[in-house]
Amino acid sequence: MDKKDKPELLAPAGDLERLKIALLYGADAVYVGGDLFSLRANAINFSLEELEEAVLFTHSLSKKLYVTVNIALHNKEADKIINYLEALDKIGVDAIIVSDPFIIDLAIKRTKIPVHLSTQQSTLNYEAIKFFKREGVSRIVLAREVSASDIKLIKEKVDIELECFVHGAMCASYSGRCVLSNFLTARDSNRGGCSQICRWDFKLLNEFQNQLQGEKDFTFCTKDLSLLKHIPDLIELGVDSFKIEGRMRSTYYIATVVNIYRRVIDEYFYDKKNYHYNVEYEKILRNCANRDSVPQFFDGDCGVDCQYYNGRVEVSNQDFLGIVLSYDEQTKLAVIEQRNYFKQGDIVEFFGPNTEPFSVKISEIYDEFNNIIDIVRHPKQIVKLKLQIKVRRNDMMRIKK
Amino acid sequence: MSKKIIIAKSTRQINNLLNICDGFIIGIKDLSVNLPCYFTMEEAKKIITLCLENEKEIFVSLNRNMHNDQLSELTTILKELSNLQITGLIFYDIAIINLNQELGLNLKLIWNQEHLATNYCTINYWHKKGVYASYLSSELTIDEIFFIRKKTSCLLMMNVFGFIPMFTSKRPLVKNYLDKFSLNDKSKINYLEKEGNIYPIISEDVTTVYSSKILNLLMEFFNLSKVGIDYFVFNSFNINEDVFKEIIELFNESNGLTDNCLFERVNMLLNYNIDTGFLYKDTVYKVKKNGQKG
Repeated sequence: MDKKDKPELLAPAGDLERLKIALLYGADAVYVGGDLFSLRANAINFSLEELEEAVLFTHSLSKKLYVTVNIALHNKEADKIINYLEALDKIGVDAIIVSDPFIIDLAIKRTKIPVHLSTQQSTLNYEAIKFFKREGVSRIVLAREVSASDIKLIKEKVDIELECFVHGAMCASYSGRCVLSNFLTARDSNRGGCSQICRWDFKLLNEFQNQLQGEKDFTFCTKDLSLLKHIPDLIELGVDSFKIEGRMRSTYYIATVVNIYRRVIDEYFYDKKNYHYNVEYEKILRNCANRDSVPQFFDGDCGVDCQYYNGRVEVSNQDFLGIVLSYDEQTKLAVIEQRNYFKQGDIVEFFGPNTEPFSVKISEIYDEFNNIIDIVRHPKQIVKLKLQIKVRRNDMMRIKK
Repeated sequence: MSKKIIIAKSTRQINNLLNICDGFIIGIKDLSVNLPCYFTMEEAKKIITLCLENEKEIFVSLNRNMHNDQLSELTTILKELSNLQITGLIFYDIAIINLNQELGLNLKLIWNQEHLATNYCTINYWHKKGVYASYLSSELTIDEIFFIRKKTSCLLMMNVFGFIPMFTSKRPLVKNYLDKFSLNDKSKINYLEKEGNIYPIISEDVTTVYSSKILNLLMEFFNLSKVGIDYFVFNSFNINEDVFKEIIELFNESNGLTDNCLFERVNMLLNYNIDTGFLYKDTVYKVKKNGQKG
């Protein structure tokens, strides 16, 4: 396999900090939402000025930045869209991710920005893809309901870039075909206001409206998606871009997930013969997530094992202990900004874009004034740790399980 | 002149309503979704003939998200339909517009991507592509509908009566729940209950959840006709057949005039479980940091 065939690892970035982390931890490209026309209306999102800075940073690493413009447009937004597209063109974003064919048409006729078709179109078949290819779309973000055999057939039938979700949360519905949020909370799901009704509990009734009572209530909620095990299959299928979901996820989550997928892609791509699936990676992903994950539709249809019946209780993640701000090779002291409680004697693991994971028992901890302390309990507290192995700025420290 | 189109539950119901409406929408087994019943092609052909003989319009809705393994059957059905003089073919999946073009079928297509038909620019885009009509999203306000009408010459179709599909999934969600907790139930329709609201859910190989309230735009009917909405759709899903027939007759009787007595009668027939959808309810999509609506 030629190096040019190496698939892109595409990560979400909810803000500039997460964008930098995603790229430093191994993403080849990031996707972000702008202030307007993006489906995560309540994320922080990027102003045009921030987008400009983000593009400069991304391009300085020879990587790519895509902007989501994937809302279902209403009349009042329609007049504003062209100015926005022209502004994105001027900034030099590498592509826009669009679901509305009117915006596709406008972008292709009035700008030079490549257009990717959003998963909001729920594209599942090669005939639909032929249409969008003729319209000038350069990449299709496939529906989350596609299976491996669907991808294979599409790849055979149409010569176009394909992007697949490999990790993160799933919609319970076909994307674009859910307005539960509109009806139950008056928040428009197709304009970025989704209030995640699919995670609510309901009582399920039979045709006589008597309750069918299971141990837990009914929910639409699905487990998350993880195709970590299937990365070699996806590479062999010729998928061009592996997408991680989660523009609203934490810095730690982004760093961990990107780092693990980067490793698996590289390990398989550069040494297929000796590749073996590393269960440790799966454990790390499981520890940083707050829900279970499965391959969803990749192997075929989705049965009961893809569903989640755990109410709204989700485990909050305490694994992320701190981020490295600097390291002094002479004193062997690392300056750490705390994220979660830790103490002397804890066994922790460091990892980073250029730091192979290693574990260590915390021996000495100093506060900012070089006083010895034994517990670090305050959020964002700055402390120093004695470490014999070199760490680097932006490396992260997590619980070793 | 606006036309009244009915989504019926059976051939019997179509026969029963033939004289009080302008046409019907029917679905085909395995290729349609969110409809009260699905016909085989043989059954569909008889209905199409019946409608043509009675000078009624007949639309076929192939509105599923299509997977690759459905394309062969889809192609066969499209070819058959192109020889049957149907009034129009309602589609969700873009595969249909591509096949219609590539195979030169000349079917009149109605764009119905349900919740995505929300602005005049996209409607005009599809109109330029040769689409015959656009089926408006149910999540629009009345002002948005009026504005769309003003800005496009494309024919427009919209829901005015019935339960509204608000969720479509490939997952068999009821079966999954029953399996998970080893429950037995053979209901043809189930319901979800939340805070006193009851939502119909149909879960076969695809799952559809409907609104808890029945959309009833009797009072808006006159104004919507006046601005030139071309097709009004009445959905019989989960409505008693006699009640449904009487409601169509009441809409006919209203003759475009707002009439409180008729409205009260419709209300009574439906146990007051009605609303006007999003006609007067603008949805929020951005909650600003200070709590203001965006």
